[in-house]
Amino acid sequence: MTCEKIQEKYADYLTGDLDEAGRAEVQAHILGCQACREDLENLTVVWAKLGVLPEEQPGGAVRARFYALLEDEKRKAAAAAVPQARSRLADWLTFRRPAFAASFSVLLLLLGLGAGWFLSAGRPGRESYAALSREVQDMRQQVALSLLNDPSASERIQGVGYTAEVKDPSDTTLAALFKAVDADPNPNVRLAAVDALYLFRDRPGVRQNLVRSLSVQSYPLVQVALIDFLVEVREARAVEALKKLIEAGELTPDVKKRAEQGLRQIAL
Amino acid sequence: MNAERPRIPKAERMAPTDNELMEDVRDGRVEKLAVLFERYQTMLYNFFLRLTGNRAASEDLVQEVFIRILKYRSGYLSESRFNVWLFQIARNAHIDYLRKQKPALPLDEKHAETPGREPLPEAAYEADREAELVRRALDRLPVNKREILVLFRFQNLKLREIAELTGVQVGTVKAQVHRALKDLSRVYLELQRGDLS
Ligand SMILES: [Zn+2]
Repeated sequence: MTCEKIQEKYADYLTGDLDEAGRAEVQAHILGCQACREDLENLTVVWAKLGVLPEEQPGGAVRARFYALLEDEKRKAAAAAVPQARSRLADWLTFRRPAFAASFSVLLLLLGLGAGWFLSAGRPGRESYAALSREVQDMRQQVALSLLNDPSASERIQGVGYTAEVKDPSDTTLAALFKAVDADPNPNVRLAAVDALYLFRDRPGVRQNLVRSLSVQSYPLVQVALIDFLVEVREARAVEALKKLIEAGELTPDVKKRAEQGLRQIAL
Repeated sequence: MNAERPRIPKAERMAPTDNELMEDVRDGRVEKLAVLFERYQTMLYNFFLRLTGNRAASEDLVQEVFIRILKYRSGYLSESRFNVWLFQIARNAHIDYLRKQKPALPLDEKHAETPGREPLPEAAYEADREAELVRRALDRLPVNKREILVLFRFQNLKLREIAELTGVQVGTVKAQVHRALKDLSRVYLELQRGDLS
């Protein structure tokens, strides 16, 4: 076998992808060929040296810019799609929100965190599993609460995503979500928070708070999301709030239409 | 109550493949791109960082890749390998970046030594001298050789994937890897000698 043929095998040799027969050929050749032997030694050394280069993490701005780009793209798509009544649950679930795109990755992250906790905690027996689960839940909520206070909107959206993965959120967590719906400077965070609260719609206070929220909400998209929510859960108390909203005459035409339609749907 | 939560079951599902996600993005569910972003941003960032040696430019290039994915998403074919498609976009973004940097520079061979590698602080340099030497050696390779090493060694692309990406035979890629490593080894040893004297 020629030196050239042997050298073709080096790439696979270095990655460990060369089969046994191939390795045997290389070994046999370098026994008798000093040039190739030295060549391969050098390559092996430099291959290993490349392994010392650390992987760097990109700055947080990369993520913020990406999510801004994605929001932009989704707004364009939503504008093209003409928002219509969304009475079907399936529609509702695939709604325009960013939170659940983000929350999938958050979920992966959490699974990782959870697994890490699991390992670092040794081998908890069956009896401590509940405690462990509780611990993970608490951790999620802590992370969520701290992210919800982050200056970056994409971080806050991630924070909302975390809360959506909590099985039984504390009152503090729910309060943070209500606050986000009412007062977050970014409408996408508000939308994400409405979405997350849908998961906790059976918790006391959630529906009332969102009915109240309807009267203070200023973003049309969020108004629509709130109406969708309240229609979806057939919230009777929303009837009064919707009527007032329509009478006040400050709604955009689209939202007004949705509110009137919502009124009819809740009554059904 | 938990049982009827519509979004929870995804926790129990298998994670979707890159290809499935990209098909979703192509078909209008652009929010799925967030999952691909989370999977690939670090890998892309390091790809660009090793090619350009410039952190700010690498961050810009990561963003550029996702802009292009959105722009060209309708052309994504289901039978594509997502990572090959992604790196095709990444390579093109890098080529365009190089053009903007030095309009007259030919992309292949000879010149292409990277400008603007940010110097490490003194302490980090001492602590990580070997890594720095490797980095400098990589920087001195012509960009096409550097790229092939970065793809093969750091991005873990298979030889056949690199062949697909660069439009050459697998045998050619093997030879290119060999030559690039040989050059890197030579440059590294030169630098090391220079360093020691
Ligand atoms: Zn030989």
